[in-house]
Amino acid sequence: MRAAMWKVIGKREILHNLYSLRFLLSLVLVIGVMAAGSLSYGRRQAAAMANYGEARALSIKTMQEDGQVNVSRLAVRRRAFDLRPRDNAFIDDAKEKYLPNAVIFSAWNVFGVRSTNESANPLLAKYDELTWAFVAALLVSFVALLFTFDAISGEKETKTLALELANPVPRSALLGGKFVSAVASVTAIAAVGALVSLLILIATGAAGMSARTALETLAFVGAAALLAAVMAAFGLLCSVLARSSNVSLLLALCVWLLFAVVIPNSSGFIAKTAFPIEKAEAVQKRVDKAFDDLNKAAPPGSWMSQSNNPFLPQHELRANLLKKRMAAEKAIRDDYYRTMFRQFERTRSLTAISPAASFGYAAEALVGGGYARFRKVWDDIRIYQGQLSQWFVALDAKDPKSPHWYNPNEDISTTRTKVSFDIVPQFAERPMSAGERGRAALPYAAVIAIMACFAYGAAYARFIKYDVR
Amino acid sequence: MLFHIARKEFHNNLLSARFLIGFLLCLVLIPFSVLIGIGDYRDQAGQYKIDRDAAEKTMKDIRTWSYLRPILVFPPEPLGIFGKGVAGQVGNQVEILLGEKPLLPEGKAAARDNPFLGSFFSVDFVDIAAIVLSLLALLFSYDALTREKEDGTLRQQMANPLPRSTLLAGKLFGILMTLLPVLVFCFLLGGLIVLFSGDISFSAHDWGRLALLGTVSLAYLVVFVLVGMFVSARSRSSVSSLVLCLFLWVFLVFLAPNMASYAAESFVPAKSRDNLSGVIKDMDKGLRERQEAATKGLPKPDWPMNWWMSGEDDGREESYGCTASFFENKRLKASIEVPLLIDNADRKWPSQEAYLESLSRQARAAERLAMVSPAGIFRAVAGALCGTDRGAIERRLDDVRRYRETFVSYLRGKEIWSKYEWITPASPAKMVTADVMIEKLSGGRFKTLADYDKWAEKQSDVRSRWTVLQVGKLEGSSPDEFPNLVANDMPRYVEKRAGVAGSLEGGAAVSLGMIAIECLFLFALAYVAFIRYDVR
Repeated sequence: MRAAMWKVIGKREILHNLYSLRFLLSLVLVIGVMAAGSLSYGRRQAAAMANYGEARALSIKTMQEDGQVNVSRLAVRRRAFDLRPRDNAFIDDAKEKYLPNAVIFSAWNVFGVRSTNESANPLLAKYDELTWAFVAALLVSFVALLFTFDAISGEKETKTLALELANPVPRSALLGGKFVSAVASVTAIAAVGALVSLLILIATGAAGMSARTALETLAFVGAAALLAAVMAAFGLLCSVLARSSNVSLLLALCVWLLFAVVIPNSSGFIAKTAFPIEKAEAVQKRVDKAFDDLNKAAPPGSWMSQSNNPFLPQHELRANLLKKRMAAEKAIRDDYYRTMFRQFERTRSLTAISPAASFGYAAEALVGGGYARFRKVWDDIRIYQGQLSQWFVALDAKDPKSPHWYNPNEDISTTRTKVSFDIVPQFAERPMSAGERGRAALPYAAVIAIMACFAYGAAYARFIKYDVR
Repeated sequence: MLFHIARKEFHNNLLSARFLIGFLLCLVLIPFSVLIGIGDYRDQAGQYKIDRDAAEKTMKDIRTWSYLRPILVFPPEPLGIFGKGVAGQVGNQVEILLGEKPLLPEGKAAARDNPFLGSFFSVDFVDIAAIVLSLLALLFSYDALTREKEDGTLRQQMANPLPRSTLLAGKLFGILMTLLPVLVFCFLLGGLIVLFSGDISFSAHDWGRLALLGTVSLAYLVVFVLVGMFVSARSRSSVSSLVLCLFLWVFLVFLAPNMASYAAESFVPAKSRDNLSGVIKDMDKGLRERQEAATKGLPKPDWPMNWWMSGEDDGREESYGCTASFFENKRLKASIEVPLLIDNADRKWPSQEAYLESLSRQARAAERLAMVSPAGIFRAVAGALCGTDRGAIERRLDDVRRYRETFVSYLRGKEIWSKYEWITPASPAKMVTADVMIEKLSGGRFKTLADYDKWAEKQSDVRSRWTVLQVGKLEGSSPDEFPNLVANDMPRYVEKRAGVAGSLEGGAAVSLGMIAIECLFLFALAYVAFIRYDVR
């Protein structure tokens, strides 16, 4: 009996949604924007790959040239590891354009990130790319509210609510039916949009169909359903809070503006007011001070150099001094990077209160991109740098013509043998595994789920006491 | 008659919940956005002071002409508080170099220390105004006709000898009368917050531009009111009109500008900066080859010994304690190399210009495409008024490049790189030969360079070769003995700030015209739709 009733209510609500103007408009808009995004995705991806290929070829070329001069030159030169454009960027670009996109390292150190805006046009105002995640964060949240804001107050105005409740229908079933059908309709819209987009991508050859793509698409639809659920719950809450649908619309719009526009766009402000960090100039001063102290403490003659005489005793002094300088700078800079990461992560945790923002962070984790990816590369490249350094030391140990005074900046007092590029260990990025992605996305999904429960619970509590006349 | 209808609309709206909530929304969001803007401005102003002081120190702390490089640091635009534009996406300073023309401003963008925060977007007053004003306009106009039709009052009104155009205009004015106080309130509130923030001073020009921004906002508001009325005149029920208006709102305000930028980035490709860096690197390599070839035949110095020397890229050099012939060698070298260096800047420029032009073309394409949405036009005009748009950056860079030409011709006029002052502050009269120098440095132990060389060859410890030369003191062998260089007649860079009208030159005026045309067009559309409207 109960199940049958749920079925009746659910069917009625779904049909009601399907035939409505808003469903049609949402579908058209979502499909339109997603299709527009996928149509130009191929070109963008090709351009990004071409740029990446150019940078990568240049980096390989300098490495080859350095190896032909000598292996020490190859070891001390600072290189950039550029992040490869992701092939699932059509799901979420994770604003990678505006994030650092390279790590600078040598065999002796991982120095830092390349933070210039080189991958984004500085004259073009920052904007969100037309990815699935953007469409979902903006439109799914909006449409979910639009489907529910007048679910109760609207029916009250048309007097159908009183009629329905004159039947033996529990209020929980009525509210639940409306909730489930709204979530189902909105998720269906997102899923159809994603499918159309995927078809276009495959048809234009911009993306291939693989098990991973299928999984990622499913994960996206799941995340979109979660977002639809939380926004629908808030929509119902707005609906039961007001007596007229006009007022609940205004409330719903305020909720949407808060969640989808104000909170995500306050991140920069929150970061610098709630979690301020030291100024870069102050850090530079500390580095300069450490250098000064070390220079003063260094034995005289440390800077004397003769490139044709590797065994000049002063070369050892300088090698030691430069090693100490590097270690001192590394300690300060690494610490500064840790405060930057902390600032970024804490700001995200705080803004996760907005389901739209949380959804963005979860989507980013699910596609294995953005900040999470960068952090993984940042950590992995340290391990690689250790290996590269060991490799170099082993090579140097074999050379009787080398004094083995390791100097992180110069190629004078270590082996000057040539080396072929093929035997130099290369860094290969390990993409985030499915488990890692899921673990990274879980906290944000949990936040959304908790908020959905909270909003739905509040709506239910309020609906029980709602005057339906 | 018109006034009666407008007054009735005004009273109806004033008492409605939407007026209250809309007002509250402005009350919360406007101060919020202005406070964010002020915070950013303060950061940038603080950064400006740090950078300016550092630049002044660098520029003062020089002793030779070859180190003279003006560093221009730009203060943040006060109106950036209201519309941040793209000014924060580039740095705040330019160093004038001889070997390269300025490409884009360098330095920290938006005074940001943490590069990861670049992925955090932010909204400003203009964004909030674009969002909230359009929403309010639509919320007040979507049911302007449908509601009265549903209530049956439209039929009653039309039973009187009332022209439909008067009714439509009356409704328009009624809604504007309701929204105008909200708009004025937003700007007053923003202005007051700035006024009472203490450390921010707006000039009369700035206030004038802010007032102009208010006027543009009004036009923007009218556009959306007309959109709402048009939709209302084409809809049978308030609900469908509302749904349509809301979707239009999301599309025009949030999606269209993004789609424009996305399309521009996809179909108008920008050249790669890595590529440009490669080209520049090759040209610098070519320059070094040319310089080496040109200076090959110079007479060799008697003793190529620098007692104190520092040299950096872009032809910067200072030397102390050299022999007269080594100084002469350096002087001759600079007099040949520097003109080649300056010439290389001109050779690099076409590649740089092509890169910049590709960025600019892409941004222009995005701006033009965004014109399909009134929000895109509004943001373009606002950026121009606030002096933070692409045009402002490009104009400033043009000025800076012109200034570089002035600076280079100032140096050229002095023929300064052919003089000793280019490489050393030491006076030519006090320059000595190698033999004299050796005698002085060794405290009389060696009379000539040949004596010293003969002795030095036999020494196994490299260091002792130098310690023996530290007995005596050579005048002018350390930079501390010389005063800083004072170049009082150096041309200064003067920032040109456009006046109220000047800020609207070019594209912005066109945009403004487009808003006006859009208004007229939409009114005509709404009128036509309403004429054919079935009021029953």
